[in-house]
Amino acid sequence: MSDARRIALEELIARVALGDRAAFDALYDLTSAKLYAVCLSLLQDRPEAEDTLQEVYVSVWRSASRYLVNGLSPMTWLITIARNRAIDRLRARGTRQGTTPADEVAAIASTEPSPESAAIRAQERVMLAGCLEQLDPTQAEAVRAVYLEGLTYADLAAREGVAINTLRSWLRRGLLRLKDCVSR
Amino acid sequence: MSDDLPPKILPEDEDEALAAELALGLIDEDEAPHIAARLTADQDFARRVAAWQERFAGLADELVPVMPPARARQRIREELGHASAPLTHPIDSRIRWWQRPFALIGAAVAVVALAAVLMMPAVRDSQKAAPVYQAQLASDDAAMQVAARLDGRNIEVMLQSGTVPDGRDWEIWWIKPDGSAPVSLGLVARQGAMRLTLPEGLEVVDGIRIALSDEPVGGSPTGQATGPILAIAPLTPS
Repeated sequence: MSDARRIALEELIARVALGDRAAFDALYDLTSAKLYAVCLSLLQDRPEAEDTLQEVYVSVWRSASRYLVNGLSPMTWLITIARNRAIDRLRARGTRQGTTPADEVAAIASTEPSPESAAIRAQERVMLAGCLEQLDPTQAEAVRAVYLEGLTYADLAAREGVAINTLRSWLRRGLLRLKDCVSR
Repeated sequence: MSDDLPPKILPEDEDEALAAELALGLIDEDEAPHIAARLTADQDFARRVAAWQERFAGLADELVPVMPPARARQRIREELGHASAPLTHPIDSRIRWWQRPFALIGAAVAVVALAAVLMMPAVRDSQKAAPVYQAQLASDDAAMQVAARLDGRNIEVMLQSGTVPDGRDWEIWWIKPDGSAPVSLGLVARQGAMRLTLPEGLEVVDGIRIALSDEPVGGSPTGQATGPILAIAPLTPS
């Protein structure tokens, strides 16, 4: 995402925090297609994705004032809200068990990164795709499936035919490798 | 599932792995309250979680944007009590020129909507007179033939030959000439015709194309065409 786009979105969110409906409309225009795609990817159901999208923007309107303290780039903040809401709904279906969506994380992770750490993060984000390619392909696919389809450790363990603990250790090692790679 | 690293995770890596799991939503319900407490108490841990959220959000770049139905925005406005014309005042003098017209546009839309309700029979009549467009879709070997017909804003898509395989669906896409993401119109009916009214935001202009893709039952799970494109054809006046 270009700096100009990030700054434009940050300005819109700041205005939404002040109750500016025009800014909210503009933010919706710029971001709803991406967030709807995130909801669809996770829920694989259009009516549910639409309901979730509604929850997401209602939440954005109400919590925009907390955005500036969470230290995330604007698209990450929005995508995280969309993903967490969709996962909430996915888990509520009861077909997947056990894990909690990190729904409050976007609001709670209240750190104010220095400008250079924001730049580093932006760079790491770009590097992630390349670093995923350096993982074992099964591991990279698992990370994608967890993030974009909402799979749980139980789902992955069933898919790979191993115990959940074994699966968890394996994925954690992959995640740590990923961290090493993007931090290089 | 092979991995050449030792099976144990070093204690100093434990936080990093936990932060990634939290960002992914992989934390067990039993552990969750304990970890949520750490987020507020431990700035370093919170920073790690935010960093993972940032990294993972890049994965969403892989998803092609899908325009939500117009009613989604209306429902959001209703829930927030914004359903009537926006009443916001400029917050300060730095407000952008392009933000101002929203209130006016909102009011204009409301007037047009009211007029549309009052003039419904007239609108229907004018639709009858609207030009008819069509697209004829065929697979390379011509075994599959699908006809799409647009009359006013009513679309009818009919399977003329070929059979949608069991366990699959054929999805219909509206492709604008501006290169934006294709918009799904729905699925080809296995028997008879699929009919719908053109969604808001889609207008007939020169260069529209209709495409069919092969998808899992119920249509593309991602909202973008995931299967092979079976056929593509321009929408032309008939």
